[in-house]
Amino acid sequence: MPSFDHDAVSAAGANDAPWRAATRSAAHDAYLATAMPDESEEIWRYIELGFDLDDYGPALEPGVPLDGDPLLEVSHPAVAGRLVDGYWVGDDVEAAGVTVGSLDRSSSTEPELVESVVTGAGLADRRDRFALAATAFGGDGAFVHIPKGTVAPGVIYLETQATKPGSTSFPRIVIAVDEGGEASIVVHFRSRQEDDLTVVPQIVAALGDNANLSVTVVQNWGYATRALGNTNVVVGRDAALRFAEIGLGGKLARLHLDVRLEGRGSSANIVGAYFGDKEQTLDYRYFMRHIGTNTRSDMFLKGAVEDEARSVFTGMIRIENSGQKTEAFQTNRNLILSDGASAQSVPNLEILANDVRCGHGSTLGPLDAGQRYYLMSRGIGEQQADRLQVHGFFEEALLKLPQPEIAGPVREWISNKFVAAQVAGRV
Amino acid sequence: MTDNALQIEGLTAGLGDHQILKGIDLTVPFGEIHALMGPNGSGKSTLAHVLTGHEDYEAAGSALVDGVDILGMSVHERARSGLFHAFQYPVALPGISLEKLTNEMEDASEEGDVETRAIDAAERMRMEPFLDRFVNVGLSGGEKKRSEMYQLAVAAPTVAILDEIDSGLDVDAVRDVAEMVESMRNRQRGVLVITHYNRILRYMTVDRIHVLVDGRIVESGGPEVAERLEAEGYKTR
Ligand SMILES: Nc1ncnc2c1ncn2[C@@H]1O[C@H](COP(=O)(O)OP(=O)(O)OP(=O)(O)O)[C@@H](O)[C@H]1O
Ligand SMILES: [Mg+2]
Repeated sequence: MPSFDHDAVSAAGANDAPWRAATRSAAHDAYLATAMPDESEEIWRYIELGFDLDDYGPALEPGVPLDGDPLLEVSHPAVAGRLVDGYWVGDDVEAAGVTVGSLDRSSSTEPELVESVVTGAGLADRRDRFALAATAFGGDGAFVHIPKGTVAPGVIYLETQATKPGSTSFPRIVIAVDEGGEASIVVHFRSRQEDDLTVVPQIVAALGDNANLSVTVVQNWGYATRALGNTNVVVGRDAALRFAEIGLGGKLARLHLDVRLEGRGSSANIVGAYFGDKEQTLDYRYFMRHIGTNTRSDMFLKGAVEDEARSVFTGMIRIENSGQKTEAFQTNRNLILSDGASAQSVPNLEILANDVRCGHGSTLGPLDAGQRYYLMSRGIGEQQADRLQVHGFFEEALLKLPQPEIAGPVREWISNKFVAAQVAGRV
Repeated sequence: MTDNALQIEGLTAGLGDHQILKGIDLTVPFGEIHALMGPNGSGKSTLAHVLTGHEDYEAAGSALVDGVDILGMSVHERARSGLFHAFQYPVALPGISLEKLTNEMEDASEEGDVETRAIDAAERMRMEPFLDRFVNVGLSGGEKKRSEMYQLAVAAPTVAILDEIDSGLDVDAVRDVAEMVESMRNRQRGVLVITHYNRILRYMTVDRIHVLVDGRIVESGGPEVAERLEAEGYKTR
């Protein structure tokens, strides 16, 4: 396995456009000077990383793809592509004016566009070891371009796999939705259950004026995968972002989401559903910045933890001085299904404007005894009653998914996790 | 089949040292509709919950549904043994639609015709707009009672305990509910209607009225009991 050295930087940057080459070596220097983050930093509080990235060298080429993606078919995609260990495999796809393909190729053919998305979304502000490694050692990625006024003909499906035990891969998905464009994207993260590896997935998107973008990430990493992701989105005037992450897999899976509502009248609708079992850690740090006037945001996340699993949700809504007439809400509800499981739910508001409407709610608790009793009074057995309650709990989030077609399998995966915990006698 | 849908004998129940039901004997024969009345806090809902198997209450005595003592059973076994309880305060089930709930009732039941009843009752009771909605979430008081009645029709139980199924209903709805209860009368069923009001009793033929005061049945009789209670109240006793 290669290590995080100059050779790897050169190999990863073999196909770099000039703008990208420039950022690479600076990021490498910063990487070498940056230690693994720890709990003493607020943004890393509540979790233990318990590993060193240096032990997982960069993946510099794609491995052998995994097959049989169960989500692909139900999504009925108009366009489908695949990243393996961070590298686009296959040809670029063009359909109805929409291009989906290799980030490397687009970085050379449309350098200004790609550069403006990547640098405009604030990804460079992430100076932790993982984000720096991604800039220094990330190879290819996927680029989705929805030109001005174009409506993508259906779901764009991006399967994102990590296949190499002992490696770190850096899948990067860059999305440009130009003025008035519309797209719906499903991203499926996968790795084998037994593969001990690290992934630093990054999704970067820019929405032009009046653009509409829906992205749902189904996070299905294997139980031995550590994922430390960033998603950065900039939203233009009267544009609307819908983003959802379904958190199912990973030994440790973290997402740092950073949405900037820059344009006046822009909005973001964020949904989450996550279920941590056994010893999983699921970690969500969501930042919503209201910069433009008349902007609206809503975050709605539901999570459950059982056995020794832990989850973290910290939500930060920041309303800048310029963000007058803003509405911002966040809700995070958690089911704690076992005594050994824990959830942190930390909503924050930072309001610099005076004419705003904000609200936040956060709850933690076990299954409701009153609901269980009522269900059982209808002849439903205790275990089934609890399954129904878990179903109902997540249903409130799943009904808000931008792509209803994937709700079926997602519902089933969540349910399977709870049933497995019941069968093992843990809940 | 025995003669009695429900036969309660020497039933006591309480919370720790606090006794709420102080020895209840009450029988509802098959084919009959009985009413249970009594002042607030006298123990009517407690009786319903003790029969349903609420874990908070310690109960002693016996309660037979068609001759089978249900007191030792878990909540869902009692329901499967033929007991149905329409709650005074129906519980909200966020994220679970009414249709999902009745489907689950069907899966949990050993009989084959639950689905047919669910479809028939949905049409008869004009429940279509409610089937996709979450159970008791955002429903008005009257709508919750209708949802309980619908579940009753789906369950088609041996014993139905309807706790204040008429409270919060408008005049027409009270008549509807009473007629529905009357239409459910049959020789395989006994019904116990818990109520404060004479009104509902006017639209159905109640075979017997029991009066519960402070955890004891103090009187049982015909419709005249309700008339007198309405005129005089419980205090004169
Ligand atoms: N879980 C409980 N915790 C505390 N007190 C209880 C509980 N259940 C019942 N009680 C008490 O037992 C008594 C009987 O209550 P119950 O609800 O059975 O009355 P009720 O006859 O149904 O009254 P209402 O006509 O107001 O519905 C009341 O004093 C009530 O406060
Ligand atoms: Mg009551």
